[in-house]
Amino acid sequence: MKVRKLTIALAGNANVGKSVIFNFLTGLHQHIGNWPGKTVEKAEGTLYFKGYLIDIVDLPGIYSLSAFSLEELISREYIAFEKPDVVINVVDASVLERNLFFTLQLMELEAPMILALNQVDIATKKGIEINHEKLEKILGISVVPTVAVKGTGVYDLLEKAVEVAEKGGATPARIEYGKEIEEQIENLAKLIEETEPRYPARWTAIKLLEKDEEVENEIRSKAPEILEASRNLARKIEAVHGHSCSTVVTSERYETARHIANRVQKIMPRVKPTLTERIHELTTHSVLGYLTMVGVLLLVFGPIFTFGGFVSEYLGGFLYSLEPTLQEILGVGIVKELIWGGIIEGVIAGITVALPYIAPFYLALYLLEDSGYLSRIAFLMDAVMHKIGLHGKAFIPVMLSFGCNVPACLGCRIMETERERLLAIFVVTLVPCAAVTVVVLGLVGRFLGVQWALALYITDLAIVFMLGRIAFKALPGEPTGLIMEMHEYRIPHFKTVISQTWFRLSEFIKMALPLIVFSSLVIRLVEILGYWEQIVTFMYPITVGWLGLRPEMGIPLLFGVLRKELTLIMLATLLGPNLATLTTSQMIVFAFVVMLYIPCVATIAALVRETGWRKAAFITVFEVLFALLVGGAAFRILALLGVP
Amino acid sequence: MDRQDRRVGAPLTALKAGETAVIVSIGSNPQRGRWGRGRVFAKRLMDMGLTPGTEVTVVKSAPFRGPVEILVRGSRLALGRGMAERILVEKTK
Repeated sequence: MKVRKLTIALAGNANVGKSVIFNFLTGLHQHIGNWPGKTVEKAEGTLYFKGYLIDIVDLPGIYSLSAFSLEELISREYIAFEKPDVVINVVDASVLERNLFFTLQLMELEAPMILALNQVDIATKKGIEINHEKLEKILGISVVPTVAVKGTGVYDLLEKAVEVAEKGGATPARIEYGKEIEEQIENLAKLIEETEPRYPARWTAIKLLEKDEEVENEIRSKAPEILEASRNLARKIEAVHGHSCSTVVTSERYETARHIANRVQKIMPRVKPTLTERIHELTTHSVLGYLTMVGVLLLVFGPIFTFGGFVSEYLGGFLYSLEPTLQEILGVGIVKELIWGGIIEGVIAGITVALPYIAPFYLALYLLEDSGYLSRIAFLMDAVMHKIGLHGKAFIPVMLSFGCNVPACLGCRIMETERERLLAIFVVTLVPCAAVTVVVLGLVGRFLGVQWALALYITDLAIVFMLGRIAFKALPGEPTGLIMEMHEYRIPHFKTVISQTWFRLSEFIKMALPLIVFSSLVIRLVEILGYWEQIVTFMYPITVGWLGLRPEMGIPLLFGVLRKELTLIMLATLLGPNLATLTTSQMIVFAFVVMLYIPCVATIAALVRETGWRKAAFITVFEVLFALLVGGAAFRILALLGVP
Repeated sequence: MDRQDRRVGAPLTALKAGETAVIVSIGSNPQRGRWGRGRVFAKRLMDMGLTPGTEVTVVKSAPFRGPVEILVRGSRLALGRGMAERILVEKTK
């Protein structure tokens, strides 16, 4: 028997339990990557059900289908052009009205769909009861109540989805707008029908009235007269309503959502605040909220830093203890040097970062996000983060980056728009991580005193702060402040959190490891072939001429690309007892450059994953040049000040 | 953006905790980007349910001129200060 194939897409707002349903359905058969050519994450998985091989695509969590964010654009293009057999719209039953606003837009896209009315348990706790049969009748699509975290209703959901696919899709009911708008939509749709549009004609008409730029551009190239007509109609509507046409359409859609929600739900007001509400009160309180936050963060990330450092060292020690065994097998020579020093040391560097730091950081981040606490932290920290041009949500990645830039970079995924993500990533890669702190303390702190180290640290943070602000102004795109839903607190679904951690971790390792191994191989090869001399000479104008360092100090800087702590280790090895004879200026300039220059290889890998090759290369090159600029300036300023 | 109603109403940030008001209009973006046209701002707010005529209740503000917590359409939102200042509302007693 031939296996029949089906594609099901999951769509819905953020934090409605979409990923829990996704995990429930696909289990271990999932793959997390990026949408082709984009830096938006794409989660895909498969399962067998009733003789079907079903491909499940988890679309990004979004609130609308306009073209303003990449996630929204990707979602609507996927649904309209790739035409999945069924779209499962996952809806949070406890916030029905807002969720239906999105449902209505999916219906306008005329996709075959069913509705998963999820988190009915949370709705019940809030005193909301929903008549799902009535909702089914109004929308004209199947509605299945589910509690995904318990698996309740998920089987029914899948059954219904397959049923709809077998019928060749059920067309949802048409949602009508107010009379004047409805007339204009009809008129426009008729015109558009003739141009064979890529999207459904009615949907295109609505989007034209909403002045959706992408749809406008498409129509302009096909039939500019239609665009003209729609602009005229929009002006008419604006004259009647006194608001922009896009406002009018959005308002009406929300009104429809409100009507439907009011017809199907009964709300029993609670007399006593629920437990989750009380936790919300505490965690957003203007004094207690901050205290709680410090406590929680220490509790969650404290052990990770200590534990991570311990495991990292232990793992490293263990892996290095294997060297003699390898030497016995391969003997001493170029082959051993290359295999050990190049490949295996690269792998060690990868493993000692990935396992002890990235895995627990991911885990903690997802736990915080899934429970709802992350949004409360963002609420408390928004004002502070605003000063560097970021907003509240960026607090966690920036905080993480003081430990390790790699998970921090990956954690920037929680930022909503591409612009915000890029800004946060940029700032994060500039923050001195634990390894850099070790170098500053071990060199400047040890030989010049803690006050110098502290001054260096403060100057560095001031520079990061400044660069953040400049990037905020210079980056294209419209900055938006914080607009964030603070969903009800809930207990995170551990299985989902763990599988999310696992699949993202393995994907990162797959990507980062070759890069790490390759670069350590190159550096080792240079060493074996005895090219250091030439490189030192080559770097002379920069190291000595521009930065005022000693010529051999260029070598540790190159090694630092692998891991920042190597800069200090190499420096100590190269200079030996002469380390103490470095001048104050040399130490400070060296530490400065280490703080700011190239992110380590693992961070570059994270950058590539989150921003793509071009932006990653740009950030890397920029930071190297900037570090040299600052280092050179520091050298000259220190000389002027008469510091030896 | 909106031609009428421009001067009516007070900013959302003028409301005290616990007060309820109706949105009159949404002003333009306080921080236009270099290439932005100020449309993302209003559109995003409206997509989150903050359309003219909607009732909003202010729950509280975060300290240090932080975001405002509001209840709108049965859900809880946090709005950055700059955004909240551009939402004009009229009190409903």
